[in-house]
Amino acid sequence: MPERPAGPAPAAHASLGDSLATGWDEPDGALPPPEWGRPRGPRRLATVWGFALFTLALVAGNAWLSDRLAGEAFLAWATVFTAISLQALPFLVFGVALSGALTAFVPASFYRRVMPANPFAAVPAAGAAGMVLPGCECASVPVAGGLIRRGVAPAAALTFLLAAPAINPVVLAATAVAFAGQPEMVLARLAASFGTAVVVGWVWARLGRTDWLRLPGAHHDPQAPRWQVFRDSMVHDLMHAGGFLVVGALAAATVNVVVPREWVAAVADMPVVSVLVLALFAIVLSVCSEADAFVAVSLTEFSPTAKLAFLVVGPMVDLKLIALQGGTFGWSFVRRFVPLTLAAALAFTFVIGGVLL
Amino acid sequence: MNRIAQGIVLALLGAGALSSTVVSDLYLNYVQPGFRPFLIAAGAVLIGLGAAVVAAEARSALAGRDDGAGADSCCSTGDGHGHGAPRVAWLLLLPVLAVFVVAPPALGSYTAENAATAAPPRDGGEGADFEEVAGGSGPVEMKVQEFVVRAWTDEKRTMEGLTIRLTGFAVPNPDGEGWYLARLQMACCAADAIVNRVLITNRPEPPEDSWWRVEGTWQPPEGPVQDARDHRFEVESMEEVDNPPDPYE
Repeated sequence: MPERPAGPAPAAHASLGDSLATGWDEPDGALPPPEWGRPRGPRRLATVWGFALFTLALVAGNAWLSDRLAGEAFLAWATVFTAISLQALPFLVFGVALSGALTAFVPASFYRRVMPANPFAAVPAAGAAGMVLPGCECASVPVAGGLIRRGVAPAAALTFLLAAPAINPVVLAATAVAFAGQPEMVLARLAASFGTAVVVGWVWARLGRTDWLRLPGAHHDPQAPRWQVFRDSMVHDLMHAGGFLVVGALAAATVNVVVPREWVAAVADMPVVSVLVLALFAIVLSVCSEADAFVAVSLTEFSPTAKLAFLVVGPMVDLKLIALQGGTFGWSFVRRFVPLTLAAALAFTFVIGGVLL
Repeated sequence: MNRIAQGIVLALLGAGALSSTVVSDLYLNYVQPGFRPFLIAAGAVLIGLGAAVVAAEARSALAGRDDGAGADSCCSTGDGHGHGAPRVAWLLLLPVLAVFVVAPPALGSYTAENAATAAPPRDGGEGADFEEVAGGSGPVEMKVQEFVVRAWTDEKRTMEGLTIRLTGFAVPNPDGEGWYLARLQMACCAADAIVNRVLITNRPEPPEDSWWRVEGTWQPPEGPVQDARDHRFEVESMEEVDNPPDPYE
């Protein structure tokens, strides 16, 4: 991915583009003539006016439209979409704030001291770190981006990305509550998720190439004040991850409302197929990892191994997460990372499910 | 998307989060009550961040500076065109529209008819560790969820004969007699809602989605309690209630 021209001039052209009014499609890398700087004021002003109109439209819509929208299916869809968005929002903000703080306030030397230099040793350490820090999958993506930005081996950061939402204490406690009387489910979830995260990390350490990853916002002015680096990093991550989070929420809400649960239940008796179906169900449903155990326990027709697949795959691969990772790390990363993770998660589900459940 | 647009989008998003928690109780339609402080914090951070970006932009506009460096010069979109934030960031306005314009209501009977019903707990004998239902004189207030779990596991049938009070909304029974009094159970957000419901046959069906507080008794099934498909409830009295502040349990 072309980041920015690596040349000495950190181009003063970029923000000329994309505002509400169009027509400023600058070719990349061309510096505008100095006199072009003048229309910037009006262009900013146009943006402000555009948003003022938008806000007025919001108020008008609130007053006249809210009570008139009907259609049960549409409203149920809108509720689920809003629910997924609102539920993910605090985690996303928390995640980008942590990631921004990692970038702005923690010196790079700190990570070199803490993390083992050898990626193969760093991977299990990162997985264990994921066990301690509570975090939703929406938070772990920008945090992993921040870690890579600070020089942590990508393989270790990716292991953390997979492990943190799957096996943190909050999730394990929720699983224990949902599957009361079945502690082996908690154990199986822990073992299979940790195994998947570490194996994916090791495979990435061995085969992964740096240019598959688009390192997010790696450039900032070393002279800039730290709070400004923090602010810009937060805005950057929110803009890149947030839009894709909305895409994921749209897709998940659609599936949630459109696909009847009976379709899923129809295949519950087939041993291997049922595991794959629940894995797929976890991918499209995009329930947050703190809640997925409660959904899994409601799928009573299914075998324990199939439920384990739901619990292991869900926090690591789902629509919302794929969109988020694509926005943060780029699609050439997602193309390789997601199938790898899914394959490892399914393999561990079958093995651990066969042994423990 | 230029810097000032990014700032305003963030601030609007924060306003959406704040208005649905501080100004109204709209957020209860979507997430758990415990989420309130997190939503407020996230909303405040977003508004602060958006304001800081807009203020920095306004300052540099007043100073006549062209502040490309360090602002949005860092970014190329995933597909390699466009400046500043990727176009997909405009989608952040969709949740804003959803909260302010659509303001979708809590899930109701449409979902209750289609979503998964709560499952009977596995036979691990956990029904035994229920504390005894408080026997006193008046009716026992119970969550629909609790009632359903007890009805499935209460092998000693301790609930039999007790007057129990439940609150929920009316859902038609598509295949058979009577109607359901249902309540959605939510673990995290509305996306994972599960239905708990009781079957009522001795009262005429009220309008769909209307909320009722009913008092009555459990009608234990003929066979083993775990095999029951519907939990029958014989109503002694029922009164309509306004939507309870928290539609889920």
